[in-house]
Amino acid sequence: MAVVTLLHPIADGVDAGSNYQEKHFMMQVSGDVQIIKEDNVTHSFCGLACVGWMYQKIKDSFFLILGTHTCAHFLQNALGMMIFAKPRFGIALMEEGDLSKNEPTLEEIIREIKADHNPSVIFLLSSCTPEVMKVDFKGLAHHLSTPDVPVLFVPASGLVYNFTQAEDSVLHALVPFCPEAPAGQKSVVFLGSVNDATADDLRAEAEELGIHVAGFLPESRFDKMPAIGPDTVLAPIQPYLSRVAVKLERERGARVLHSLFPFGPDGSRAFWEDLAREFGITVDLRDREKAAWEKIRNQRELLKDKKVFLTADTMMELPLARFLKSAGADVVECSSAYINKKFHARELDALAGVRVVEQPNFHRQLEDVKQIRPDLIVTSLMTANPFAGHGFVVKWSMEFMLMPIHSWSGVIPLANLFVSPLLRRSKLPAFDKEVWLEGVMPSAE
Amino acid sequence: MRLAFWLYEGTALHGISRVTNSMKGVHTVYHAPQGDDYITATYSMLERTPDFPGLSISVVRGRDLAQGVSRLPGTLQQVDQHYHPDLTVIAPSCSTALLQEDLHQLAAHSGLPPEKILVYALNPFRVSENEAADGLFTELVKRYAAPQEKTAVPSVNLLGFTSLGFHLRANLTSLRRMLQTLGISVNVVAPWGAGIDDLKKLPAAWLNIAPYREIGLTAAEYLAETFDMPAITDAPIGVEPTLAWLRSVIGQLNRIGAERGVPAIALPKLSAFSLDGLSAPSGVPWFARTADMESFSNKRAFVFGDATHTVAIVKFLRDELGMKIIGAGTYMERHADWVRKELEGYLPGALVVTDRFQDVAKIIDDEMPDLVCGTQMERHSCRKLDVPCMVICPPTHIENHLLGYYPFFGFDGSDVIADRVYLSCKLGLEKHLIDFFGDAGLEYEENGAAASPELEPSTGNGHISPTDDIKKEAAAEDGEMKWSDDAETMLKKVPFFVRKKVRKNTETFARGIGESSVTVEVFRKAKESLGG
Repeated sequence: MAVVTLLHPIADGVDAGSNYQEKHFMMQVSGDVQIIKEDNVTHSFCGLACVGWMYQKIKDSFFLILGTHTCAHFLQNALGMMIFAKPRFGIALMEEGDLSKNEPTLEEIIREIKADHNPSVIFLLSSCTPEVMKVDFKGLAHHLSTPDVPVLFVPASGLVYNFTQAEDSVLHALVPFCPEAPAGQKSVVFLGSVNDATADDLRAEAEELGIHVAGFLPESRFDKMPAIGPDTVLAPIQPYLSRVAVKLERERGARVLHSLFPFGPDGSRAFWEDLAREFGITVDLRDREKAAWEKIRNQRELLKDKKVFLTADTMMELPLARFLKSAGADVVECSSAYINKKFHARELDALAGVRVVEQPNFHRQLEDVKQIRPDLIVTSLMTANPFAGHGFVVKWSMEFMLMPIHSWSGVIPLANLFVSPLLRRSKLPAFDKEVWLEGVMPSAE
Repeated sequence: MRLAFWLYEGTALHGISRVTNSMKGVHTVYHAPQGDDYITATYSMLERTPDFPGLSISVVRGRDLAQGVSRLPGTLQQVDQHYHPDLTVIAPSCSTALLQEDLHQLAAHSGLPPEKILVYALNPFRVSENEAADGLFTELVKRYAAPQEKTAVPSVNLLGFTSLGFHLRANLTSLRRMLQTLGISVNVVAPWGAGIDDLKKLPAAWLNIAPYREIGLTAAEYLAETFDMPAITDAPIGVEPTLAWLRSVIGQLNRIGAERGVPAIALPKLSAFSLDGLSAPSGVPWFARTADMESFSNKRAFVFGDATHTVAIVKFLRDELGMKIIGAGTYMERHADWVRKELEGYLPGALVVTDRFQDVAKIIDDEMPDLVCGTQMERHSCRKLDVPCMVICPPTHIENHLLGYYPFFGFDGSDVIADRVYLSCKLGLEKHLIDFFGDAGLEYEENGAAASPELEPSTGNGHISPTDDIKKEAAAEDGEMKWSDDAETMLKKVPFFVRKKVRKNTETFARGIGESSVTVEVFRKAKESLGG
């Protein structure tokens, strides 16, 4: 029985089948890496979460979600987003009366947004309810667009997309607004939103290596999106942007860098060496990598042989696990909501020997965690405190999205993110949960 | 269709999970797309639950819909095998409600016995958080409450105490302390901490206490009708209401006690209710009569919140602290009539009923009250305007889930509320000194006051701080009318905490007399006409 398989500590891929059980199977990727696929009964966010950072990144934008009370409640609660003076995101709230209408009428709302915010671009995000209603979002966005203020459709609903994946949709929608770069000068476009300081670092690093930088997708202004053409090398700096990479490869003839993602000394070295190679530049960053490892020697000592479990949340899990493995940790499970065998090929290769799970089942993970007793669990906002209550040391997976962990300058912050919960816990006195958790959650007693 | 940024009440799913997360052995399975279980984070982060909230998602993917498959039966099996709940509540989300699937049938396919399943398929487009929570709780009480012998000693049930409730634990402690002092036993607290067996024995209590208008009242009404159990539905918020509440608890129990031949309960000396058993149970009555509180008689307060707290706080401010109420409102449209009736004679105008925070922000902006009692949203709006604000009700925020004992109920609660009023408002003598001597060296607080960082983690690669937005906004507003340098200098002499208000009033005055900028002349005129 598949159900039984799910209950066992290490799913062996044998599936006797049950009518309702998602079949989970093994995929053979290159080398020794096998991806175990489960049924996605897990705790994570939907694609709308991307609004949290994208509206701040693209400063002349407005993010409009066609959605329900649930979408609004999600943004204000789970993301802890309070409404400042004039928020540049909002929900076109579908109420009961709107369900019977064939097409939502957003003209009035768009007018209100333009009057209050004067955005250069409005992103129209789909959510589950209008998708179930089969709203023609493309037609709707087209209809609402004007030459001055385009309205761009961004598929983001939880029916299809997880957490960070909707950034891919946003970038996808921006492609027509990246000018065509004529053939000629070879240059790099970094793919993925990072804060301005990180972007400056990456740009400086590339230029130092003699690589011409055409920009970032996305830039922080809508009218400044980078030119992309056949001589563009796209360097993905976030691991959840496979669709836009493929689109640009296909439509613009751009080349996509297939390397490690620039996290940690190992990732940074591979990323920059491989990127330079695309430009015919040979660099040997061995010493730089060595020096970077040296800088985090104390952190590595602490991480050595520590059992780390990543439960799947932000889709940054593969490169994070790879860094941990290189740093000497024992990654007991690396789960991720979505794995793209081509886009993530190098990371998967580097994870040879590590248990990699796509769309994991949380109940099974819970059983495994109880048996394996990891030293550190990297997990979602929803599950971190309960794991801590079970005696584990935890780290919020979302923090890795908010910290400058890219490239060389990000090495120390990256290592510290893993190390700080371990250090902190070791400084706290002994904890008798029978005493100190009494009455905290009566429903669990 | 309307543009919404922020909502007071949560969804039906949120209401359902608040009840089930409160309960032992009860699990909720959401039949919903990825991400709809974000609600789990509200418990694991706000209440810092040391165990996994009993909430699982049975993910609905677009692909499943296309293929006509449902994972619900499989998820129900998994949940049963992993958590062994006594009951699993199955709830649709807004999008899956539209699919009009037969959840009963899907649930039956799991092979779980029907008595272990409750399909709670209400219309999420029509029903919000509180109505769903109240409705599900009532449903559970109807399903399990069983006829039985009354307890030998006087006993009560405490109904409506629910996960993420406002200062829930402290309120519960406060009520328990008072009941203990009277020698009354608590039969069941529900849904907080209750299991199915506890719901079964609800009718054993002599009396139900259901202090929240939003959750628990309907169950108390059902128990009254079906099991002839009396209920006390007033909230013991404030000293006088607490005294009245104690008297009615004692009255009700003694009436039943007389029939059963149980000795009557007497109200003890009130010091018995104090923390040390030796003092007045509350400092509020004396505090309200002190000379430094005299300055409060002119303070203008605006109150906005749910039904229970809006009513209680308006009464407390006016009746016990002697403040002036300039208006009140609620986002609980369902209970607006009750609020109106309760506040008859308390409000100078009509009760504000709205679920748009912008409407409330506008009232605050227009009125510039000396104190706003509201939700986290009003706290936020007020911060921008530099208007003192205290939070009195849900929606809750991490700041409402503190470790210390800060009840709103009972004598202890009266002290907590009065302290917060006192700390929120600008103080008496200090205010006179500042008014007289200008900034009194407190100038430095101007920026600091408005810039305390948010506590909640927020996404966003962190390169825009919230306060930037606030400042930008303030600058934009200030830019509307020009002030001459002299006038600005003069404005600086006004105490910092009323400066924004003076600026605004002066600009309004200037516009009224057809001026396009504020000069010293205009400012003086305004001062004269507006009374300084």
